[in-house]
Amino acid sequence: MSARYGLDRAIARVAPVLIVALVAAVPLLTDDRYLFKVLTFVGLNVIVVTGLALLFGYAGQISLGHAAFFGIGAYSVGYLTATRALPWLAAVAIGVALASVVGLLLSLPMLRLKGHYLAMATLAFSEILGVFFVEASAITGGNDGLRGIPFPSVGPFKIATPGASYLLVWGVAIIVVVLASNLVRTRPGRALRAVHGTELGAQACGIDTGRLRVQVFTLSAGLAGLAGALYAGVVGFVSPTTFSLEFSVLLVAMVVLGGTGSITGPVVACVALTLLPYIDALVPGLPRDAVAFLQDWEADISGIVMIGVLLFAPGGVAGMLRRSRRAGDAS
Amino acid sequence: MSSSELLQFVVSGLQNGAVYALVALGFTLVYASTGIINFAQGEFFMLGGVLAVAGVRFGLPLPLAVVASVLVSAGIGVALERFALRPRRDSGGLVLIIITIGASMVLKSLARHIFGPNEMALPAFTPGPPVIIGGAAIDPQVLWIWGLTFVVVVALTLVYAKTKLGRAMRACSLSHDAARLMGVDTAGVVMLSFGLAAALGALGGAVVAPLTQTAFDVGARAGIKGFAAAILGGLGSPVAAVVGGLLLGVLESLSVGFLSSTYKDVISLVVLLAVLFLRPQGLFGRAGKEKV
Amino acid sequence: MNTQFKMVVAVLAALLIAVTGVGCSGSGSGESTGDVAEPYRIGAVVSLTGTYAGLGTPEKNAIEMEMKRLNDAGGVNGRQVEVIFEDDATDPAKAQAAVARLIEQEDVIAIIGATGTGQTMALRDDIDRAAIPQVSMAGGSVITAEFDELVFQTPWPNRTVVPFTLRQLKERGLTNVAVISDTGGYGKDGHDIIVAQAAAAGVKIIADETFNPGDTDMMAQLTKIKSASPDVVLMWNAGKEAAIVAKNLKQLGMDVPLVGSPGNGRREFIEGAADAAEGFQFAAGKILVPEAYGVDTPAYDVATAFISDYTKAYDVAPDIFAGHAYDAFLVVTDALSRIEGDATPAALRDAIEQTSGLVGIGGTFTYGPQDHNGLTEADLVFYRVEGNEWVLAK
Repeated sequence: MSARYGLDRAIARVAPVLIVALVAAVPLLTDDRYLFKVLTFVGLNVIVVTGLALLFGYAGQISLGHAAFFGIGAYSVGYLTATRALPWLAAVAIGVALASVVGLLLSLPMLRLKGHYLAMATLAFSEILGVFFVEASAITGGNDGLRGIPFPSVGPFKIATPGASYLLVWGVAIIVVVLASNLVRTRPGRALRAVHGTELGAQACGIDTGRLRVQVFTLSAGLAGLAGALYAGVVGFVSPTTFSLEFSVLLVAMVVLGGTGSITGPVVACVALTLLPYIDALVPGLPRDAVAFLQDWEADISGIVMIGVLLFAPGGVAGMLRRSRRAGDAS
Repeated sequence: MSSSELLQFVVSGLQNGAVYALVALGFTLVYASTGIINFAQGEFFMLGGVLAVAGVRFGLPLPLAVVASVLVSAGIGVALERFALRPRRDSGGLVLIIITIGASMVLKSLARHIFGPNEMALPAFTPGPPVIIGGAAIDPQVLWIWGLTFVVVVALTLVYAKTKLGRAMRACSLSHDAARLMGVDTAGVVMLSFGLAAALGALGGAVVAPLTQTAFDVGARAGIKGFAAAILGGLGSPVAAVVGGLLLGVLESLSVGFLSSTYKDVISLVVLLAVLFLRPQGLFGRAGKEKV
Repeated sequence: MNTQFKMVVAVLAALLIAVTGVGCSGSGSGESTGDVAEPYRIGAVVSLTGTYAGLGTPEKNAIEMEMKRLNDAGGVNGRQVEVIFEDDATDPAKAQAAVARLIEQEDVIAIIGATGTGQTMALRDDIDRAAIPQVSMAGGSVITAEFDELVFQTPWPNRTVVPFTLRQLKERGLTNVAVISDTGGYGKDGHDIIVAQAAAAGVKIIADETFNPGDTDMMAQLTKIKSASPDVVLMWNAGKEAAIVAKNLKQLGMDVPLVGSPGNGRREFIEGAADAAEGFQFAAGKILVPEAYGVDTPAYDVATAFISDYTKAYDVAPDIFAGHAYDAFLVVTDALSRIEGDATPAALRDAIEQTSGLVGIGGTFTYGPQDHNGLTEADLVFYRVEGNEWVLAK
């Protein structure tokens, strides 16, 4: 047990300092708005993936509907700040609360469902909400989308540049990741792992597994809502095609590629997969033909990487990290 | 509403439902032998149509092109199992599922590279005017869809019930270890089930293409509908998958007829959710199958 | 210190180096201006993958072909024109990242795109902030209805095409109209304008059905429409579902005319609907039958040259989307050629707005301070499918 989760513990101890330093350093090193945008997308995905990692890796639940919770957060903030002129912070709070409540309401009847039936239920929910996003055009702007969403602002402070948006999103992402890593080391966290291990065993130990499942699903829905709420402000435009099943599936893939029972692994996988189509942001001077080729073949490459990683390293990124650690200990 | 209109809604629903059923059958077969959902199933539906069109353009007679597309798709299904899934058979369901998701991304994208982004048309199997029954119009191609679905279900049911292979498949669906102890070649059964599932999906894609055209991106929608139909039926027997498919099709069609065409997918999904919440194991699934 | 800690440090260090590298190159590219031999750089955001891949691909083809032709002939003002393409994968967020890259790293002076309406709208904040002109190839009314002095569009928007189409129906005495449209952006936009303008056009909507993009069977919707006994079925969508509607209509034995939208002016529709396409009518620009321009007009020469060049280059005749892209590239390069002095984005915007009588594929473009569509109903004609070919409907 300690070998398995020691990784998260060690990283939780040293990484925050380093990552905070790195995140804070980027704006000092560059003023490239494109790079900031790309890194902002990465940060938003990290927030959702952290919630999903808790749901999967620790509670063993699958969701193909988290793009919809992301959408709830995004449309809430979009509608409340652009149309209703609510303060940004209040809109974010409402968006997160709404996503959490919907997650809670959905997870209650879903307690009875297991495995693929649960996956289907979340998929159905997401498809239904997709229709709502298009049809409730008075709130969502329909297919044309919701535009003119103001920048995030708290009191007199306005987060109006891509650099500031990047810092906001990554600030939140780091807090979320650190809290999640702490959570899995507390008693509820151990209970979470027990649910994934053997539910009967966990029940025998006096853990209310049903209640725990509802809690973790609600939490992950809330985190997806939070990412969506941030998305609306920093992107300034929300339209229904963003919250697709494809997005939900990609998020799930990131978690599994990252490896179960870990927060670090899914986060690393998330960073890598999100950056793949934007590789030209990180590798300067890449020939334009190469960039065009990469964009054209992005789906093929992602698919092959997914198959390849799982074929040769079924433990995902977390498994690879653990193995290299063991090798290091042996030497 | 006249009776002929009602009949037309039902006919239309059964037409779509039969196609959903073919895809759902593929999900059910793979689930029975491996316990996983094959997310690439929808892409085999796409391959069936696209490869059949390619065959016709290559100069093959239509029936040969359809047969060839089904066989090639089955081959790809077998290869997927043999080279991408079998090596990781012991890694648990989620890993295998994500591998099938990766495969679906590759198949869809490759199809776009090879066949281009536009829709393609396949000629009707037997051209001719629609048959009018009780005031409802039925296209000859719809008769092909129903006929082939019927043949497939009967054949599968017979294989399941009567043959040694069917017994092996059923044994695998209960427990691989026990099946192996009984002398069943479980690896062979799993590979066969993937090939068969791919063939069924491809058949669905090819037989509906004359009505709907086909393109590189038709797989995702077919996959969702087939998955929904399989879950509605309960991931149990071939018959359950077919009933799930037909039910879903008719539900959508009646939603258009009596409620709203905009919300037809919502209505059918709400019904699906309601069924799941009331009967978590689907309409015909066995309760309490969870292994301890 | 353990290995895994070292690894984390190494990864972070690598990331840091990569990030620093970008910073350097970013500031480097900003300094390279003022050289006369530098080509004009234009960014293009198109959908080459995802749902609109079938639209974005011919768009890119048309622009690449025209760029080569123009540059071989000496470019504009003695300078070459370079178009840098970005794929938005039919995703608004990706479109936004793409335009940020084009503005930041490529220093473009104008944006052509996007392919879809949603993607076009997603670019607006970045366009406004960078103050560079945008010429969209998407047909959504919202693009110019939500007016922005930087944003132009080349297709005929639905608010031009719908009244024209409704008048055609009225002239033919087809006043009891059944509407069927898709719930996607283009279909819904057209639908709402049809509903709003029907009364003014003197037609009555007696049935109103929808389908979703990707649907494969519309028998149920058409059965409802059949029971309303309309004079005509008016369909508004741009996808492959159009052929299914045409076929289903025939299967139901309905012999009322089917009328569609410019989005149906695609070869694939005729191939997909086969004999059910016979008699299908729709309004669109004149490119499908260049004789409609009048054989002795400059427009006829422009269109026939484009059709023959495109067919030679890509082995397939250009569709209307290739035409929209041709026009977008033409609008930008024509404006560039009229600029005296520095071709700044602001000067380019002004020059585009002053475009007048520019003969393109979609029609003759005349933009103005209040009009960023440039086309009128005079650029539209009504077509009919006869013997698997488009002919002018009379």
